[in-house]
Amino acid sequence: MAEVTFPLPDLGEGLIGAKVLDWLVAEGDWVERNTPLVEVETTKAAVEIPSPQSGRVARLHVREDEELAVGDPLVTFTVDDDQAGIVGTVPREEREPARRVRLSLPED
Amino acid sequence: MPEFSLQQALNLALCHACEDDDRVLVFGQDVGVLGGVFRVTDGLQAKFGERRVFDTPLAESGIMGMAVGLAMAGWRPVPEIQFDGFAYPAIDQIVNQVARMHYRSRGVLPMPVTLRLPSFGGIKAPEHHGESLEALFAHVPGLKVVSPSSPSQGYHLLRRAIADPDPVIFLEPKSRYWHREEFDPAAPVPEMPVGTSRVVRPGKHATLVAWGAMVSRCLRAAELAAEDGVELEVLDLRWLKPIDADGLAASVARTRRAVVVHEAPLTAGLGAEVSALVTERCFGELRAPVQRVTGYDVPYPSGALEDEYLPGIDRILTAVQTTLEYRRG
Repeated sequence: MAEVTFPLPDLGEGLIGAKVLDWLVAEGDWVERNTPLVEVETTKAAVEIPSPQSGRVARLHVREDEELAVGDPLVTFTVDDDQAGIVGTVPREEREPARRVRLSLPED
Repeated sequence: MPEFSLQQALNLALCHACEDDDRVLVFGQDVGVLGGVFRVTDGLQAKFGERRVFDTPLAESGIMGMAVGLAMAGWRPVPEIQFDGFAYPAIDQIVNQVARMHYRSRGVLPMPVTLRLPSFGGIKAPEHHGESLEALFAHVPGLKVVSPSSPSQGYHLLRRAIADPDPVIFLEPKSRYWHREEFDPAAPVPEMPVGTSRVVRPGKHATLVAWGAMVSRCLRAAELAAEDGVELEVLDLRWLKPIDADGLAASVARTRRAVVVHEAPLTAGLGAEVSALVTERCFGELRAPVQRVTGYDVPYPSGALEDEYLPGIDRILTAVQTTLEYRRG
């Protein structure tokens, strides 16, 4: 198992922080990628932040009504080792590989 | 006996290298806080601090340029470039600075840089995230190039690469990051000098030569060949520069046939070098021309075509049969 910590992402528009309004997940929950994680409030708007990956929520780093800066830890996930790449897909160990070619030794 | 995936074995090697030598520095994109996109540097920043393990901007030329300066100042940099396809922006630093500095300075300035590079295909990644650059790097005088095929090999070869006084390009087969193996990192290992290969499976009818992820595929092909009574030797080349010409020759002299398997395109791939070496050393013993089973001469394809592009079991077995049937006309 590996832990992956997701920091408050850059929200654009020069914003440097946000306040947590509502956690939409709890510690121990399993979340899929793109599941809404949390609603945060900035000086511009309230926005929902989706989960960047699937995994089990290990820790919420900030309580509701608390503020954090962009880049501060927001949530830590526990993920299986084989879910730990963020690019591409984990190759499945091939079952018995299909073969069509048979071999034969030379006569000599 | 503990079990490690390749990513965990490489993580452990980096951890032990940092513990053993205060001059070892680990840096690159996302290697610190995140712990690497493949988790290879997981926990290292927490353990060794931000001065030893640190994140860099997305600037591969800068990452390698910094490695050059740090090496000149007496450090032992272990930079990571996140994916093989993004090594191209750093080629100027790698070829013009890293590879030449020791030579250019008449031995005054050492360049003990180990570039870690997640390499090759097999994970159906987007474009630029799967390339096979070994021939490109092996062609550059001054660089050593190595690729492990398993977790235990990964651990020991990375330790060896970091300890080496010269620059080493360490090509990590990304499709094998999750493959697990039992081994004891503390157990004494047989001497593994730079430029040595290993016979992974002995055989007598032909030698399959491979490196990285293709070693396990060749082992599977050898299992299937055994069902037909054909005993294939599998040679893990490990070091792609310098190549173990003696080990290659010893194996092929026994089996008298050779098939080299790699993911990179055919033309001017490293298989050509292997084939030339075998022909120079074993011309008298060879029963058939050396066969090459490789990717095709196309840009690395999208995930949907990857399985067709990579050497498959049938292509390997067909090449073996070609060598078995060959008759001098």
